[in-house]
Amino acid sequence: MKTLLVLLAAASLAFGQAKLPQYTKETLPNGTVVAMMPRSGVPLVYFRVLIKGGVESDPADKAGLANVAASLLRRGTATRSAEKFAEELDFLGGTFNAAFDGQLGSATAISSEFLSKDFDQGLELLADAVLHPAFTESEVKKELARRIDGAKAMKDNPQLSIGSYFRAAFFGRDHPYGHPADETSYSRIDRETIAAYHRNFYCGSNMLIVVTGDFDPNSAKAKLSQVFGAAPAGAAYAWRTAPPLARKGQMLLIDKPDATQTYFQIAQPGIDNRNPDRTTLEIVNTLFGGRFTSMLNDELRVNSGLTYGANSQLQQDRLPGAIVIGTYTKNDTTAQAIDMALDVLKRLNEKGITAQQLASAKAYVKGLYPTRRLETMDQLAALIGEIELYGLGRDEVDGYFGRIDAITLDQANATIKKYYQTGNLTFVVLGAADKIREQVKKYDPHPAEVSIKTAGWGDR
Amino acid sequence: MRCFTLLFFTALLPAQNVQTATLANGMKVIIQEDHNIPSVAMYFVYKIGSRNERPGITGISHFFEHMMFNGAKKYGPKQFDNEMEKAGGNNNAYTSNDVTVYTDWFPSAALELMFDMESDRIRDLSLDPKMVASERGVVYSERRSSVDNNNFGILQEQLEAAAFIAHPYHWPVVGWPSDIEAWTQQDLKDYFAIGYAPNNCVMVVVGDVTVARVMDLAKKYIEPIPRHDPPPPVRTKEPEQLGERRIVVKKAAQLPIQMIAYHVPEAKNPDAIVLDLVSTVLSTGQSSRLYKRMIDEEPLALSVSGRAGDALDPTLMIFTIQPRNGVDPARTEKVLYEELERLQTTEISARELQKAKNQLLTRRYNQLKTIAGRANLLGISEVMLGDYMKTFTIDKDYQAVTAADIQRVAKKYFTEKNRTVATLIPEGAGK
Repeated sequence: MKTLLVLLAAASLAFGQAKLPQYTKETLPNGTVVAMMPRSGVPLVYFRVLIKGGVESDPADKAGLANVAASLLRRGTATRSAEKFAEELDFLGGTFNAAFDGQLGSATAISSEFLSKDFDQGLELLADAVLHPAFTESEVKKELARRIDGAKAMKDNPQLSIGSYFRAAFFGRDHPYGHPADETSYSRIDRETIAAYHRNFYCGSNMLIVVTGDFDPNSAKAKLSQVFGAAPAGAAYAWRTAPPLARKGQMLLIDKPDATQTYFQIAQPGIDNRNPDRTTLEIVNTLFGGRFTSMLNDELRVNSGLTYGANSQLQQDRLPGAIVIGTYTKNDTTAQAIDMALDVLKRLNEKGITAQQLASAKAYVKGLYPTRRLETMDQLAALIGEIELYGLGRDEVDGYFGRIDAITLDQANATIKKYYQTGNLTFVVLGAADKIREQVKKYDPHPAEVSIKTAGWGDR
Repeated sequence: MRCFTLLFFTALLPAQNVQTATLANGMKVIIQEDHNIPSVAMYFVYKIGSRNERPGITGISHFFEHMMFNGAKKYGPKQFDNEMEKAGGNNNAYTSNDVTVYTDWFPSAALELMFDMESDRIRDLSLDPKMVASERGVVYSERRSSVDNNNFGILQEQLEAAAFIAHPYHWPVVGWPSDIEAWTQQDLKDYFAIGYAPNNCVMVVVGDVTVARVMDLAKKYIEPIPRHDPPPPVRTKEPEQLGERRIVVKKAAQLPIQMIAYHVPEAKNPDAIVLDLVSTVLSTGQSSRLYKRMIDEEPLALSVSGRAGDALDPTLMIFTIQPRNGVDPARTEKVLYEELERLQTTEISARELQKAKNQLLTRRYNQLKTIAGRANLLGISEVMLGDYMKTFTIDKDYQAVTAADIQRVAKKYFTEKNRTVATLIPEGAGK
């Protein structure tokens, strides 16, 4: 076992280049794409089923539909009660997770892992849930009621809930990423809506299955074809186009009167996951706010002690995401921290980066890539999923280090000028409004203000 | 003195090629070669945590975890992170009641740099008052996020303070606010001297290295650091609890939270393994007893879990329940007791016990998938269980547990006298 691992490693990282191990891919007659990457190692097999659509396919007034359908897959099938399914899965020590995939959610991912010796039983359970869910009235009601309470409970966790406020504020309700589920949208979903969603989306033409891990590819291929090949072909989901963004240059202030610190996000338009600038932006954003020594964390944490951490997130999904500065600080330093973050942004925009910084970020991103993306079977399956779902090609991995090496300082600084703007920023600020309202007025004299107790995410 | 043990064995779990040595200054080194990816995970487990503190300096172990990145003799402020990131590496650290763990992940080419920087800060940490002042702000911000603005965090802090009246597990790892503001330069110096002795640390290296190279570098950089006295033993033992304790936290919240804790033994006690299985039976997976009762069959809770972490001293098994909107926490409490009583009165079926064993086995495989996961388990098993090989053999201990063991352990620990009940009640909820 060990010897084989060594040989594979020699093949996958020759000459300091990342290389995706070989995998096979075939399309079944019903349109289902099956990709397999057998690898020896820990005796586990990992399945990842991807359904195109995800949250972007939710009707705006029924936000949460794709996720509700995903959660209910295992809650009873044509031949198994929810209880029986759970008992069989747990007896194998298997895992089963189903939720939206990626940073913003243009697909649903159902992932399941089993001991290699349980390949057949594991596959049978997974396929039963994906293809034959019963969506019984009682399970649907339970799931929706639980999610409505869950949306309430999320308000008690500012770090979590600011993400939903952000989506609504930045993208806006008409945007496929801009309608996070809330109490009202869940209450509009019913059994028939969920069953129809499943019929339309969980079909051969709209499904990709990735299998990685310790398994025999020949017998696996036959079994996968038999099980998933039986699904109706249906039609592939037609990806949506993105409408304009909602509140450019404005602020949403969320009042949580008991908060002792203010959480804030400052956002501007970013890129999708196929944008030719993406590798350069990743490198630049690493320097700006993507690692411990980044400009943002250095100023706001290390030099000033204003916060436990400050970062910049570069969202990439099928549709363009945002570039989001995020951090938190105690109530009375709210404006000081926001000013400092804006200063760092301004400095990046005006002065750009140096050759030394560029070299450091290149080494950092390359050095961590193997542990972030190539080490485990679930990481490899996620990579294959992205490549196949979004038509990226295996050069996404094999050419990655080459693309990083090729970035020049001029290119990096031109990319900074293009994306890191200092105006027209969207602010989402969550804190004790009475204590911070005056401080944050200077960023938007007329912010939209909402109480955290109000249902929804400040967009109605 | 140095001894090498070479272990090849074909247990159920992949325990290839783990080698150990002890440096002349007392630091134990555990190495596993793995060339799957060209990366290394290097962990330093210091046997010092909040249990080694005293009133007035609570949180100081955790504060050190921060200060260790703020400059030493050769590598000044910011340089540890700057040099490491420039070399393609990343790091983190964590502090618990019992240990402080430094975690480095990096390309194998950076191995010597990491030895140089780690030895520098173990030997010659500088405690610049300016960095101390700024880092206080950072740690206070961390406390505000993990406790003051986190309802689960604040309830757990209050629960532990009530459940332990004498033992140092009474105070939070992050420290009481007044101590974070008050510890002195001298406190820091004294604490560094006792905590950061090489003989008080286990180093684990997993990944794309050779044993010979690691040992050469360990001899060059770490071995010359002199040993000194480790922290004095923690003398205080928690006295037996004499009756149920109940506390309430009132706070702005959408939903209440309930935590119910029982005193249970330390990780080395054989009952700890049985309690792992008990918590799996009760709350791992949708077929677990508490999930079925409180989430599936009746809409009582949004979430429920029960866990006892590995600990050097007797610890707590804490059940955490978030009741559903409108559900009286008294109701979820009662249902928990019914399920605990069922474990005490009715022997668990062979299939249900085997299910829990299977769940723990695959969980262990999952922890072993990455070099980081293995480095952590090797270090924690060595320190908490006294044997790094438990990383790979704990499965056998699980297999040996019987239904009678489960029943005996449930009877022994899940008693009214032994429990502390903490409830977070939303302010203005009228109770």
